[in-house]
Amino acid sequence: MLRSSTLTQSVTVTCVHHSHRQWFQSIPVNYRFCDAARNSLSSNSAIFKWKRTANYNRNRSGMGTFTTRALAQPLQNADELIDSVETFIFDCDGVIWKGDKLIEGVPETLDMLRSKGKRLVFVTNNSTKSRKQYGKKFETLGLNVSEEEIFASSFAAAAYLKSIDFPKDKKVYVIGEDGILKELELAGYQYLGGPEDGGKKIELKPGFLMEHDEDVGAVVVGFDRHFNYYKIQYGTLCIRENPGCLFIATNRDAVTHLTDAQEWAGGGSMVGAISGSTQREPLVVGKPSTFMMDYLANKFGISKSQICMVGDRLDTDILFGQNGGCKTLLVLSGVTTLAMLQSPNNSIQPDFYTNKISDFLSLKAAAV
Amino acid sequence: MLRSSTLTQSVTVTCVRHSHRQWFQSIPVNYRFFDAARNSLSSPNSAIFKWKRKANYNRHSSGMGTFTTRALAQPLQNADELIDSVETFIFDCDGVIWKGDKLIDGVPETLDMLRSKGKRLVFVTNNSTKSRKQYGKKFETLGLNVSEEEIFASSFAAAAYLKSIDFPKDKKVYVIGEDGILKELELAGYQYLGGPEDGGKKIELKPGFLMEHDEDVGAVVVGFDRYFNYYKIQYGTLCIRENPGCLFIATNRDAVTHLTDAQEWAGGGSMVGALSGSTQREPLVVGKPSTFMMDYLANKFGISKSQICMVGDRLDTDILFGQNGGCKTLLVLSGVTTLAMLQSPNNSIQPDFYTNKISDFLSLKAAAV
Repeated sequence: MLRSSTLTQSVTVTCVHHSHRQWFQSIPVNYRFCDAARNSLSSNSAIFKWKRTANYNRNRSGMGTFTTRALAQPLQNADELIDSVETFIFDCDGVIWKGDKLIEGVPETLDMLRSKGKRLVFVTNNSTKSRKQYGKKFETLGLNVSEEEIFASSFAAAAYLKSIDFPKDKKVYVIGEDGILKELELAGYQYLGGPEDGGKKIELKPGFLMEHDEDVGAVVVGFDRHFNYYKIQYGTLCIRENPGCLFIATNRDAVTHLTDAQEWAGGGSMVGAISGSTQREPLVVGKPSTFMMDYLANKFGISKSQICMVGDRLDTDILFGQNGGCKTLLVLSGVTTLAMLQSPNNSIQPDFYTNKISDFLSLKAAAV
Repeated sequence: MLRSSTLTQSVTVTCVRHSHRQWFQSIPVNYRFFDAARNSLSSPNSAIFKWKRKANYNRHSSGMGTFTTRALAQPLQNADELIDSVETFIFDCDGVIWKGDKLIDGVPETLDMLRSKGKRLVFVTNNSTKSRKQYGKKFETLGLNVSEEEIFASSFAAAAYLKSIDFPKDKKVYVIGEDGILKELELAGYQYLGGPEDGGKKIELKPGFLMEHDEDVGAVVVGFDRYFNYYKIQYGTLCIRENPGCLFIATNRDAVTHLTDAQEWAGGGSMVGALSGSTQREPLVVGKPSTFMMDYLANKFGISKSQICMVGDRLDTDILFGQNGGCKTLLVLSGVTTLAMLQSPNNSIQPDFYTNKISDFLSLKAAAV
């Protein structure tokens, strides 16, 4: 039975005299940017091409061209999938590790893929760590992964600012943790906020005015366990009162994994708070937005049809792959169960699913 | 030129064995509830809710439904005509009655004149930081003779909503908000936890750490909270996500609030947005522009909604509240909305009338004699 289909529309928008800084904000977060790197905040005009990918529970319509997506198939011939792509993008938590524990068979699987000449990339929505800090985590777990292969949403926020030539004399207000600060610093941007604003309080007296820095040109919001009203108000003032100030979200995840014992409220709550006070939608650089996919494709010169996205979440990882026009593989080693995948309420269908990435080894052997 | 129109649809939904507790959550916040008081959380088998959706469309007609066309707002010219056409005036407070801690010019005389004409006066505010009693004190301080019975704050609305659905007294309410909500819940006889006292709590993360939450929490009420923090986000999220049938109630979704006159401050919409972002659920909103308070007032005082005039300074809360409730609407320009904002082509919310301030009732009345 065919379950969902995809509508792709292509639109070109021209924005003159920096107005695209504000125009960005009005783009729904599931719209994707192409060639953002060529469009500069400091140029007079910018032309953006974007596509919207939406799932519809129907097969055909007079409204556009529909690509029909069948139900996910269990992965049976791993070699066939491996040979059909150049690059594998892996989510981390639930795919490579769970908490601080490596998932069984991961090192051997990654070694096998490298031996076949495949490029491996690791993409995470977690913004609390920088690439360097993630590199240390891989190392601790005994995995040989270079910083160049790691793309955290903290890095994506800085990379996005670079891609639009965000002016170096402008500042970034950060609602988030150390990872974002480190990546902004590496990219050469001035920032304020972050964990140090966690202890700040507003003492209200009649006529009290909260000052804010008028040089803030972007507010970057990610997961922040030190979130408070001071940060909400500061970020809100910047977005509302500084002309052209960008509102950038590292991700909108409802859930994050601070400890293995339970699910914790994710970065989506901090983003929701700022959205609620500014009545603006953010530009999202993490999954399922395709900014990171576009960035990777440009950086490594990869065709997106030559990529397979491997993840454990339907609404971020698999949607990210589908929005980017990649092949998709769901692993059941993380948060998604087979029942959830096959539920009639689920409209996101990957190309394939399997238990864990080490099935690449066993299914490979079985196919010989 | 005709600018916007209204679509009204009527739908009946039947929910069996308490499942309506969860079903509530899926109702878009601009849907309105009728006779909620007759539908009980503790009723054994089924509950029938009738709701209507009112939406503005920038078109005149459609095969989709019956449209009522709304013309551009008219300047108020004959106050007597409006006064005589209604029984009840509902006033927003900040920007209509006062600004910050200062009474707006001519308010006492206007209220006295309306009372002398036998009009019922009601004061409705989305601010949830104070209880009705605390609001009563503010009116008194400003020299206005207003009884608690005439005041409807969104803090009271949250407690009234729980009462209207017979929320069980053995269930608890987790509060993200300030003192007003706590006081109103206490007066209504509900057990609560959270509020300002959770403002200082922090989560110390250790491997394997689990944050416990009270499984008897049956509702999370979210309002403006200057002591908002991650502890509260996680606690509220756990209750909504893990306690079967737990309600997610918002006092309002206002982007802006007025803590001081010097600037606009992030409003209760930010706290609600945070919980919405972590639970992926939409709240049931009891404050404006949701019509829960309007329905409550109409039931309590036995007023027909066509006999009410809503007077406010905000298009997206006050005027929409009146329109959603089927009332006459008057925008005053003494608060946040300017004439330019009202007449902007980007604005689709058109009140019936607009005027500078409520004391125009006196001068326009005199001019019409």
